[in-house]
Amino acid sequence: MFGLGDLNLTYLVSITLVSLYVSTAAVLVSATLGLPMALAVSFRDFRGKAVVTSIISTGMGFPSVVVGLLVLLALSRSGPLGEFELLFTPEAMILSQTVLALPVLVSVALSAIQSVPQDLRDAAFASGGTSTDVALLVVREARYGIVTALLAAYGRAISEVGSVLIVGGNIVFSDGTSFTRTLTTAITVEARKGNIETGIALGGILLALVLAVNALGARFRDRTPSGGRR
Amino acid sequence: MTDSIVATDITHGFENGAILEDVSLGVEPGEILAVVGPSGTGKTTLFRLLAMFDRPDSGVIEFDGDDVWSMSDARRLEVRRRIGMGFQNRSLFSASVADNVAYGLRVRRSWKTRVASAVSGLLGPADYDEAVTAALETVGMADKASRDAGSLSAGEAQRVAIARALAPDPDVLLLDEPTSNLDPRNTAVIEAAMRAARDRGIAVALATHDMQQARRVSDRTAVLLDGTCIESGATDRVFESPTDDRVRQFVEGKLVY
Repeated sequence: MFGLGDLNLTYLVSITLVSLYVSTAAVLVSATLGLPMALAVSFRDFRGKAVVTSIISTGMGFPSVVVGLLVLLALSRSGPLGEFELLFTPEAMILSQTVLALPVLVSVALSAIQSVPQDLRDAAFASGGTSTDVALLVVREARYGIVTALLAAYGRAISEVGSVLIVGGNIVFSDGTSFTRTLTTAITVEARKGNIETGIALGGILLALVLAVNALGARFRDRTPSGGRR
Repeated sequence: MTDSIVATDITHGFENGAILEDVSLGVEPGEILAVVGPSGTGKTTLFRLLAMFDRPDSGVIEFDGDDVWSMSDARRLEVRRRIGMGFQNRSLFSASVADNVAYGLRVRRSWKTRVASAVSGLLGPADYDEAVTAALETVGMADKASRDAGSLSAGEAQRVAIARALAPDPDVLLLDEPTSNLDPRNTAVIEAAMRAARDRGIAVALATHDMQQARRVSDRTAVLLDGTCIESGATDRVFESPTDDRVRQFVEGKLVY
């Protein structure tokens, strides 16, 4: 079927699971770090705020191979994080994908948060809200944009090749299941072997995953109409 | 009777000259004070100071005799929660009308209760407090409680915003230009809500550039011009025999901004 050649189901499922695990974990870590960052940058006035904002947007275009190299250096035995022995593990890939996804998430979330009118923040404060209440209200008002930020970060993570190849090592166990091989790095392997059809089939799976995640996001947005109850 | 909220010798502004200079005024329970003056004269700045958005550069704001900027943060929050405010611009949250009006009540609840009601809200439609319905009735919007706030006209949205300020039963109601840009019918509803609030013993302060509105609804009037209070007193007295010449011209429509 579809000219999958020597691909077996176990292999297929395992690389798909590695892709999903690494990207989902990276987006979760990015969201945990990034949403508070976006709120902090948006709410606080500090010196160098413009510089921070432009560093974040620059990060969106950061070349993934360069990130891969830097993470490789950090995780290598003599690097600052060498003692954790994470190099060529899925966790190393999560780290490099987080570095790539975080600026996308913060940047898109920041613009969503900043587009919430000041009048609404004022109304929340004047209604007796604490600064936490005002922040929660802003997140709620910016929820569509925040979902978009999560989707964009997911898209960046799951479609990434360069850095996961460098820090993950594209490793497959002898039983044919994946350790650090993802859908994207598997495609590079197939392409190099000349198995273009297999590569395209893997690409189809990748595309289907991205579409499914986006559909999930769209469903969330539709399920919480602006008149939705809290 | 003691004043609910009193501002004394308030000076506030940015480096390029004060927006407010030595302004003193107070509102008593059960009265409507109109702060009138042309746009850009510092009314909004003054009301934001009364609502404790900012600390004045100098001067004192007292609530029931206590300096609000000398008290603890927790106490100041309590005091803030006895004040309701309506704004000139559209300020409704993207939620239903009832959720908007319930907002002030919700933030006053404990986190435990709030989380519990958020969870039960996911399972089925929430029950609203009687206070929400009562506040919506004051502005004639009770039949639109389940409507999406985004679908309301400007006038309806402003009425809901005033219901939101009234729902927690405040002691002080600050309204900053609530009816500018509204049609006469919505204006009349809002003015009736102000009178009803006054009759319930709430101290109502209204910022307006509309002299006729001040004359219609207020018991006392303070005239603000270029950041200073140039005249204040009983509304009839201010309109019939103003002591300041600029106020006289303003009342007679000779001074137009």
